[in-house]
Amino acid sequence: MSLSDQSLNALRRLYHQEEKPATRRAMLRAAGCGFGFMGLAGLLAQEALGDTAAPVNPMAPKPPMFPAKAKRVIFLFMHGGPSSVDTFDPKARLDTDNGKPSPIKAPLSFSKDLGMLMKSPWEFKNYGQSGIPVSSLFPNVAECVDDMCVIRSLVGEGVDHGAALLQSFTGSSTFIRPSMGSWVLYGLGTENQNLPGFITIKPALSHGGSKNWASAFLPGSYQGTAIGNAGMKVSDIQGEPIEYLLNKMYTPDEQRYELDMLQNINRKHAELRKHDPQLEARIQAFELAFRMQAQAPEAFQVEKESEATKKLYGMDEEVTKDFGWQCLLARRLAERGVRYIQCTHSYKWDQHSDLVVGHTKNAKEVDKPISGLLKDLKARGLLEDTLVIWSGEFGRTPVSQGANGRDHNPYGYTLWMAGGGVKPGFIYGATDEIGYHATENRMHLHDFHATVLHLLGMDHEKLTYKYNGRDFRLTDVAGNVHRGIMA
Amino acid sequence: MLSLRILSLTLLASAVFGQSPDQVEYFEKNVRPLLVKNCQGCHNAKLQSGGVDLSSATGFQEAGLFKKDKPEASRILVVTSYEGSVKMPPMGKLKADDLAKLAEWCKMGAPWPGAAESKATSTAAKPADFTPEQKAFWAFQQRKDPAPPAVKNKAWVQNPIDQFILAKLEERGLKPAPKADKLTLLRRATLDLTGLPPTPDEIKAFEADQSPQAYAKLIDRLLASPRYGERWGRHWLDVARYADSTGNDEDHRYPYAFRYRDYVIQAFNDDMPYSQFVREQLAGDLMSGNTEDKFNKRAITATGFLALGAKALAQQDKKKMLYDVYDEQVDVVSKAFLGMTMACARCHNHKFDPILTRDYYSLTGMFASTKSFAKPDAFVSEMLLKPLVPEAKYKQYQKEQAHLKSLKFAVDEYAEQQVQAHSHEMAAKLAAYLTAARDPKASREGLDEAIVKRLAGMITNPKAKEHWAELAKASVEDVPKIAAKMQADAEKALKTWDTELDKWREKARKVPADSDMAPPEKPKFDAKKSPVVNELFMGNGIFAVAEKQQEKIFPPAAFAKLGDLKKIYDDFKKQAMPEPDMADAVEEDKPVHQKVLIRGDLNNPGEDAPVAVPAILSSYNPPKQFQGSGRMEFAGWLVDPANPLPSRVMVNRIWSWHFGEGIVRSVDNFGKTGERPDNLELLDYLANRFIQNGWSVKQLTKAIMLSNTYQMAAETEDKAYTVDPENRMLSRFNRQRMSVEQLRDSMLFISGKLDETMGGTLQSGFGTDGENSSGRLSMKPEALTRRTVYVPLRRANLPNMMNLFDFGDATTVNGHRSLTNVAPQALFMMNSGFVEQRSSELAKTVFAAASDPRERINQAFVRILNRKPSGEEADRALTYISNMQERFKEPEAKAWQSFCQILFSSNEFIYIE
Repeated sequence: MSLSDQSLNALRRLYHQEEKPATRRAMLRAAGCGFGFMGLAGLLAQEALGDTAAPVNPMAPKPPMFPAKAKRVIFLFMHGGPSSVDTFDPKARLDTDNGKPSPIKAPLSFSKDLGMLMKSPWEFKNYGQSGIPVSSLFPNVAECVDDMCVIRSLVGEGVDHGAALLQSFTGSSTFIRPSMGSWVLYGLGTENQNLPGFITIKPALSHGGSKNWASAFLPGSYQGTAIGNAGMKVSDIQGEPIEYLLNKMYTPDEQRYELDMLQNINRKHAELRKHDPQLEARIQAFELAFRMQAQAPEAFQVEKESEATKKLYGMDEEVTKDFGWQCLLARRLAERGVRYIQCTHSYKWDQHSDLVVGHTKNAKEVDKPISGLLKDLKARGLLEDTLVIWSGEFGRTPVSQGANGRDHNPYGYTLWMAGGGVKPGFIYGATDEIGYHATENRMHLHDFHATVLHLLGMDHEKLTYKYNGRDFRLTDVAGNVHRGIMA
Repeated sequence: MLSLRILSLTLLASAVFGQSPDQVEYFEKNVRPLLVKNCQGCHNAKLQSGGVDLSSATGFQEAGLFKKDKPEASRILVVTSYEGSVKMPPMGKLKADDLAKLAEWCKMGAPWPGAAESKATSTAAKPADFTPEQKAFWAFQQRKDPAPPAVKNKAWVQNPIDQFILAKLEERGLKPAPKADKLTLLRRATLDLTGLPPTPDEIKAFEADQSPQAYAKLIDRLLASPRYGERWGRHWLDVARYADSTGNDEDHRYPYAFRYRDYVIQAFNDDMPYSQFVREQLAGDLMSGNTEDKFNKRAITATGFLALGAKALAQQDKKKMLYDVYDEQVDVVSKAFLGMTMACARCHNHKFDPILTRDYYSLTGMFASTKSFAKPDAFVSEMLLKPLVPEAKYKQYQKEQAHLKSLKFAVDEYAEQQVQAHSHEMAAKLAAYLTAARDPKASREGLDEAIVKRLAGMITNPKAKEHWAELAKASVEDVPKIAAKMQADAEKALKTWDTELDKWREKARKVPADSDMAPPEKPKFDAKKSPVVNELFMGNGIFAVAEKQQEKIFPPAAFAKLGDLKKIYDDFKKQAMPEPDMADAVEEDKPVHQKVLIRGDLNNPGEDAPVAVPAILSSYNPPKQFQGSGRMEFAGWLVDPANPLPSRVMVNRIWSWHFGEGIVRSVDNFGKTGERPDNLELLDYLANRFIQNGWSVKQLTKAIMLSNTYQMAAETEDKAYTVDPENRMLSRFNRQRMSVEQLRDSMLFISGKLDETMGGTLQSGFGTDGENSSGRLSMKPEALTRRTVYVPLRRANLPNMMNLFDFGDATTVNGHRSLTNVAPQALFMMNSGFVEQRSSELAKTVFAAASDPRERINQAFVRILNRKPSGEEADRALTYISNMQERFKEPEAKAWQSFCQILFSSNEFIYIE
């Protein structure tokens, strides 16, 4: 019998001896905002101790409100704002009227030096059976268009990065609200109690920073767990992907021995205080932490993948290595039941000048890894129930900024999704003839959020949380589900 | 058929509301299709873009787009005319005949079937509209003056607090828990008031003191400790959503936020009356004069309370940004002082509480008339930084700084003259130098061999810049020609540079002496104009003159004169005024005539909303008049004894910080959706007493802590847990998990590493850092040794350790931290370097303190758990330590470290009871 089995048995015995908490409410209060991502009840339920205490674990997997294809999300975030008219939304009018004044007056802009219409420096070709046009920036992703649903009509409200990021991830461009990942975790729990349910890989520290993956007023256990940050090298992250996860002092046996001594002291202490479930909860938290540190690191061992797989994600090439690692890690986490995963291509897409140089380099860094991820997910049968989302915080203007750049454009931009119940090989929505405003099937960010929740089997109007006397939602008082993108 | 039915229904409806069938038909035929096609994509019932819903009659009325008295000036016509700042629809102007239709329809009175007779454009209800239930709500009633109730067990009563508590317990047949033992009480009180555990000496002294006053003396000692303000000031900082940066988007530092934090700590240590504390935080700038004797640095600093909220400085819609800031200020003020969630009323009357949109904008006006920004319209808006000296003195400072810059200019300008002369001299020899550098046989006459060598090294260096390539590659015969050309080019470039410097001097001469304008900065040489000159003559170039070389290179007379100029500069600098302290604060602005913004839409003003107290509280002695922004009078009203709320709210906060739960458990929300007081009589009794005692927080705290209620044990008879599982009646003390500050500070303190320096800031710099820079992270508390309250907080990226242990997010009022118990916290205790180091240091201390292992165990217990171990506990500890050494071959020191870590990780340590 291994040490961890021993401790588990001890735990079982203890649980049966434990008196029922006075009321469930008291128990919930005692647990504060829950046991975190490795809840006591989740463990107990897994170990077939019955589900009497199951409702206590806020992280336990919960059924969706209605049947849905998508079980998890991988969000590929292109920080800075890739240009839609240069990637997935070609505009013939920009070619013909290159250098001419815009037919419409520019709405509120971020920068002041906007100029004339500027044609895309890249060529578009139609790909796949669906014939969806993709620019030469994304030759590899283009091979996957028949799995993608390209939405050309996103609308946000923030013209600056900070507001746009906050709104993209939390629904509000101004106030601190729970992030989409936190809402999803709150609604669905997570499948693997040994890993965080919401993981964000190399997230941005700027433009709201952690507020973009924080749980705000939702219980703290729903906050995203950051793996490094956008400024770090992969090699610096691998050593300890989650802070405090690894014990560097002891062998597992030795640490178990230390923990047994602690638990002994804690139990003696608790015996004299039999009415307080908090004390028992904390004893369990240590047991669960011990299990987690033994099991979680394996998920991060991307290096164990085959050479062929690594190559598929471009990990063999310097330029694609970083994002390739992120995408491959995302797949490993998805496979292990993490509910919500985000990869961030760090703040690079903000080409106020030198569009050609910047976008070429950026696209090169992500093109292969993204296509690798889509192909790999598909080959493993994971694409069906994984919703992949690719987006920036906004697009860029069809008019030039300065000599050779483009400004921010939240008024109509492209986002694509794949898998998870969206129509494959499908184009949805449209912008006007120059690509400035969304005109057809406008999808406001509130709509986007409502639609993602729907794809995961949740009604955005019913996924509420009471805080300071008010029922809050991800979509505030807005949001329309766009059924048009659903398969 | 269907359409006929609808038509007849609309006819019916319109008949009721006095719209003629013709008008209805006009609307249905001409206007509705136009609205559907062009407007309802965004302005529908769900999206209500900009707060406007054009899909229904009610929506249209509420949006206030129609002016009954002047239909041609209706907003719907203004925005569609494309002549104002707002142009609708955004995709392009409507066709002329559509515009004509709209105008015609407005002229008819904008008939819309189903519409009620047009209401006032205001969304504000009148106070008279409050329901009797709303008016009768407990929080809005005058405080009563309840006499402490009679109780059976009079012996238990220490002070009236106990009577209020015991009466309720006796009513339910419960007994209060027995008194906690002496050491438990010592640990509880010390951690409660100072955030730190008692020391071994304090334990010894307290145990030895058998006098009946021992406990009261303890409380006095703790209240007098400067550590008290650091612990209790932090409670208030939670309410004030304190942090050291703006949070949203660019997360700019608040460089002087720490002064507000230090002000709060000092206010608690000084037992500043709460009434004054409220006044200063809301209107301290108005309490200060502008002369040296009347200037109130402290009060100005206090307004940091208003200034330090989360802000989005890069928001380009600056009006929206400002109104979001006012909103944040309304939110913090109403929750902190009134326990009311007024920010809910930005777009509509509060759904649950009797708070009107009008009330909201009355407070908004107060902040719209207050300045939080120096330059709100800058691309990244600039916050207001206020000098903490009178205006005249600050002007004097600026003037002196300008003068200092002029003196510096005189030094630099004169030195530059000498440098220029030297440059020309050297440039004249450039060809000779370059030739010598390439050709060992070339003439060295008049050249410095050291320079030749350096030049040679530079030119032939494989990493040499491109502009040396030609010279480096040329054959020796070609060198003189190339060198001559380079010299000619360099001389030309230096002449141009002379002209630029002359222009600089010219500009500087135009700055009037005695003005507070600084002379212009010295121009920078444009490297593109001559990379060679740039590399050789500028910066650290071979022909440039470093300060050290001035004496050697400048003519002696010139060098002497330069020395004189420097001395004048240095002398003035020594006696010049040092930079005055600055604060992130607010100040009075021009009063704004605030209007209600219908549905929160910035472009849709409704009725006037002059500064006023919330209507539901308007019977409690509101100010007769408001001056300027009105903050001063509003603050005065808050702490008017007639006001039923602020004293209750603060007393309740203080109670909750002692007991872990308030008498009203929702400490920031006294509204309908909040909780009801568990003991209203006690709350009112304490609030009245608080006011009578001059709003003294320390006196209130002392009364609470001397009560038997506070001194109860955390364990009691079984029955109490069934009758009152949540302990709302307080039959026992609530066991409380340490806050992150208590945890971290205690561990540092016990291990002897806590730096007890007070105040000041560990944050440096202004503005923000690169988007992916680690400068955006908060400093790691694990790597610091100051108390946690002094750890600077970058709001967008709070320290992991603080997130882990439920610090909160520092963006909204957080009077009650929810304390969780999750596995990641356990990982921190098991694996963090911080816990390991603290344990290791403590192990060394106890190791050094005694040679007897049993005594060492005693020491570890006393320091960490503040009690001695039982014999059995000590036996087990010793067995553990020897096993660690024998079974796992750990060195003795590590075995002791491990044992200390166990005690630090124990429930007994982290739970205060």
